Amino acid sequence: MMPPPRFAAWMVSLFAPPEQAESILGDLEEEFLLLGPRSGLASARRWYWRQSVRTSAHLLRSGFRDAPWSTALAVLGGFFLLRLAHWLPGQLLNAVTDRYLMYWSNHFHAYLWVLKALIPTYLLGTFLTGCCVALVTKKREMIATMAMALVLLAMIFVGSLSAMIMTGDANYLRSLFWASSDPLAIVMGGMLVGRLRSKNTPLPAA
Amino acid sequence: MADGDYLGEFEHIVMLALLRLAERAYGVTVRQEIELRTGREASIGAVYATLDRLEKKGYVKSRRGDPTPERGGRAKRFFRVTAKGAAAVNRTHRAFESMVEGLDLIRSYS
Repeated sequence: MMPPPRFAAWMVSLFAPPEQAESILGDLEEEFLLLGPRSGLASARRWYWRQSVRTSAHLLRSGFRDAPWSTALAVLGGFFLLRLAHWLPGQLLNAVTDRYLMYWSNHFHAYLWVLKALIPTYLLGTFLTGCCVALVTKKREMIATMAMALVLLAMIFVGSLSAMIMTGDANYLRSLFWASSDPLAIVMGGMLVGRLRSKNTPLPAA
Repeated sequence: MADGDYLGEFEHIVMLALLRLAERAYGVTVRQEIELRTGREASIGAVYATLDRLEKKGYVKSRRGDPTPERGGRAKRFFRVTAKGAAAVNRTHRAFESMVEGLDLIRSYS
């Protein structure tokens, strides 16, 4: 018999609290193995995916309902940290560029360097912010980082849309694609911390 | 939640499933019992979220079973209803009966 979909199991393990992850994944695998010979592998896989998505949504909702204030506080703190994480690298890079400007062949190269260096440092700062939010929200890493990512995404969307309406420049809407890398980096930070914390929960064998 | 409170709809269903299953009550059997008797597909996440809430209220207790190979070496978590939980089921049931008493639901709303 084939093992259940690994990615679906991984998704459940991200959202499940450590004390529940073992029994939930065990229950899903047990039913999957019962369903396989009865209804076929494709149907069993579909069932497993459906259950995993609904289970993750339930765990996300109940996790937020159980601790709404601490989650909201972590998200708020995350936004302050994010502001710092975006402000500090720019200041540092500007200071370095200004100090060594005289050694550059021309100023254009210096500013190009700043621009190139800023994008990865911004993303790294966002990713680390996601890690910090996940670290302070023990057992609710994905709930807090998903909440923060959704709020940020909504802010970016509203900002881009209103800028486009006011200026009539469609480029603002196109920039949404790049801007959504920030919420993604926050969720990835949450995933990393969550996975490291629940590394004792084995996933189905490949 | 105070001692005199009633169970929510899904909480009530989960508690009744636990009472029916007795010693055999764990995630898979509870989910299957609900599906079999109510005809609605419950997600394992909804069952666990409810069981977790009921355990916090002191209505159910859980214990860890032995790991089994058909579960990828993972242990089962068995649940049982406590005396406080059984009292909550009775209280909720009595409230329902009292509300339904004297109503002819089939004739009034069909």
